[in-house]
Amino acid sequence: MALATVDRLTFSYPGAAPALREVSLRVCEGEAVLLLGASGSGKSTLLRALAGLVPWFHGGRFEGRVEVGGRDTRRARPSDLAGTVASVFQDPEDQVVLGRVEAEVAFGLENVGTAPGEIAGRVSVALAAVGSEHLGGRRVTELSGGELQRVCLASALALEPRLLLLDEPTSQLDREGAEAFLERALGNGAAVVLSEQRPATALRYADRVVFLECGRILLDAPRDDALAWLDEHRPAWTQQPRNNVVQAGREAVCRVDSVAFAYGDGPHVLDGASLELRRGEVVALTGPNGCGKTTLAKVAAGLLEPLAGSVERAGHAAFLLQDPGRYLVRERVDDEVALGGGPADTRRTLAEVGLAGYDARHPRDLSSGERERLALATVLVGKPDLLVLDEPTRGVDPERKLELAALLREQAGARATLVVTHDAAFASAVADREVSLAALPEAVLA
Amino acid sequence: MRPTAAALVLLGVAIAALVAHRISAVALLAAVLLVVCLRAGRRAKPYLWGTLFSAGFVFLLSPLLQSTGYHVLWSGPDLPVLGRLDVTTEELRLAAVGLAFAAYALLLDHDRLIAAATARRSVLAAALATRLVPTLERDASGLVEALRGRGLAPEGLRGHAALLSPLLAGSLERGLNLAEAMEARGFGRPGRTRAPAPPWRAPDVLAVALAAVLVVVGVLWL
Repeated sequence: MALATVDRLTFSYPGAAPALREVSLRVCEGEAVLLLGASGSGKSTLLRALAGLVPWFHGGRFEGRVEVGGRDTRRARPSDLAGTVASVFQDPEDQVVLGRVEAEVAFGLENVGTAPGEIAGRVSVALAAVGSEHLGGRRVTELSGGELQRVCLASALALEPRLLLLDEPTSQLDREGAEAFLERALGNGAAVVLSEQRPATALRYADRVVFLECGRILLDAPRDDALAWLDEHRPAWTQQPRNNVVQAGREAVCRVDSVAFAYGDGPHVLDGASLELRRGEVVALTGPNGCGKTTLAKVAAGLLEPLAGSVERAGHAAFLLQDPGRYLVRERVDDEVALGGGPADTRRTLAEVGLAGYDARHPRDLSSGERERLALATVLVGKPDLLVLDEPTRGVDPERKLELAALLREQAGARATLVVTHDAAFASAVADREVSLAALPEAVLA
Repeated sequence: MRPTAAALVLLGVAIAALVAHRISAVALLAAVLLVVCLRAGRRAKPYLWGTLFSAGFVFLLSPLLQSTGYHVLWSGPDLPVLGRLDVTTEELRLAAVGLAFAAYALLLDHDRLIAAATARRSVLAAALATRLVPTLERDASGLVEALRGRGLAPEGLRGHAALLSPLLAGSLERGLNLAEAMEARGFGRPGRTRAPAPPWRAPDVLAVALAAVLVVVGVLWL
C-alpha cells in the first residue's frame, strides 16, 4: 500500500511559472526513491509538497492532490504531518534551531508531543544511529558541516518518521562521509525520498529512480531499468568523464612552500604543506572533510597569511568561496560582475557562464544554480592569473558540472586553476593533476 | 545555577543600574558586568563594541535633547549647533544595560531558558534574535572575504556600510529557511511536551532572591 501519493500535481510559486507539472508518484512503506534532475527541475518542490510545506509555507497555485499517511496535505499542516514525515534540507546551518545538540534533537520530539519520559532515550538512540552519540553535549556552533548534517539527520530520525525526505543532504560531505550518511539514513526502515546531485552513491541504495525535467517526470523506474535509461539518455548522471587532454603547466604562478597555519590559538590545520601551480594547468585539491583543503587554497590565494613557510605568486589571484551565492552584494546581475571589470568584459563573462540576458535581474531572485554561475562570473571577469574555486559543484547537477569543467578547461591556458573539491567525478573531468591532502596529524602531502 | 535564575540576576542588575542615583554605584555595576562578559573571551567582542557604540551614540545625542544632564561626569567643549558636550551617567546606565544583555547572550544556556519558559514562543524568538549577532558577524566576515577573493576589499566606513544591504537580505533568507525547517519539525502544533528539567535547588532560589534584593536596593539606597 502506498504511504504517500502525489496525484496530478501542478504547482507554481507566487508569480512564477509552474515548478511542477502534472506530477504523479507513489511511495510505498520502506521504499527508497531517488529523485534526479537538473537544478530547477522541481526536485526540492516535490519534496516540499510531500512535507506539506508546498503550499502551506510557500503559498502559490496548487492543483492536484498529495496524500501522506492517508492525510491530504491541503488539510493537514506541515506541523501536523511532522512525525509521520521528517525532512533534512540541504544546508544544515539554516535548519538548526537550538544551541546544543541534545536540545536540537529533542526539539521536534517536544513539538509532536512525545511523552517527557521518553524524550532523552529517543535522543540518545537517534544520535547513536548516526554515529554521533559523542556530540550530545556539544554546542552546534562548534560542529563541522558534516557533524551538523548528521545532527540534522538524528533530529529527523528521532521522530521515527514513516517517510524521510532528504534534499541533497550530502552536498557538504566527502565521499566516505556521504556513504556513511546515506547508509544510516536508508537503513532505518522508513520510506526515503532523496534528491542528489552526486548520484553514484545514492544509486547503490535506491529501489527506484525518478528523473524530473522542467517540473515533469521523465522517468519513474526501478533502479536497474533507470540505470540503463540514464546511460542511454542522460549519460552525465552515471558515467564518470575524464579529462583526456592533460596539459603540462608552463611557468609557476603560485608556489606554496612548507606552510603552517592555525586559526587563532587552535591546533595546526596545515603543517609543512607545499603546492605548485603552473599557468595552463587545472589542479584538483582533494581530501577528507576537515583536512585543511580550504585553508591551503586560501593561503595560496593570499586570503590567509601562513604562520611559517613561504608563498610566492606571480600576477593576481581570485578566490571563489564555498556557497558563493550568499555573498553577492549588488542589486543587479550586471552591476555585480561589473565590480571586477568593464561593460564589455561583463557582457562577455555573463555569456560565458550562460547568464546572457540576465543583466537586470536581482542576484537573489536567481535560482541557486544561477547564483553559483553568477558568482563564478564575478571572479572570471577580472582575468586572474590564479583562479581558486572552493567546492564549485556543490548543489550543481552533473550536466552543469560538465559545462563548468568545459569552461575551466577552455580558459585553462590563460591562468593556473586550483579547484578544491570532494566531487571525484568533477575532479576527474576537469583536472590535469590531483593533489590529495591528508588530515593532520598524518603528514600533509602535496 | 539554572539559566532562568541567572537571567533574573542579570535583569536585577540591569534594573538597579537604571534606577540607581549614585554614579559610583552605576559604575560599579557596569564594571562587574564587564568582568562577567570578559569571561566569554573573544566571543564578547561584537557585544562590547555594540555596547560602546550605543553608549557613544547617546553621548553624542544627549546634548541635542537636554542642556543639563544628570550627574555630569565630564563637561566637554561648547560646540556650534550641538551645544556643550557632557558625559553623564545616562551613557553609563545604557552601557550597564548593554553589558547585562551581553552577559545574557554570551554566558547563558538559551536552550534551558527556552525549555523552562512558560511563554516558550517569545523566549525562543528572543533566543533566535540573540543568535543573530554571531551569525551576522560570521556573514559579514564571509562577505568581506568573498570581496577580498575578488580583489575588492571594502575600505572605510562607506565601503563597509555598503555591506549592510546584502547582510540584511542574507538574514531574511536565513530567517525564512529556518522558519520553514521549524514548521516541518512540528513547531506550533498543539499538545507540545517538554523534556524533564532538573528541579530548582537552593542556589537557584537564592539567585532569584538576590535579583529582587538588587532592584530594591537600587531604588532605595544606590
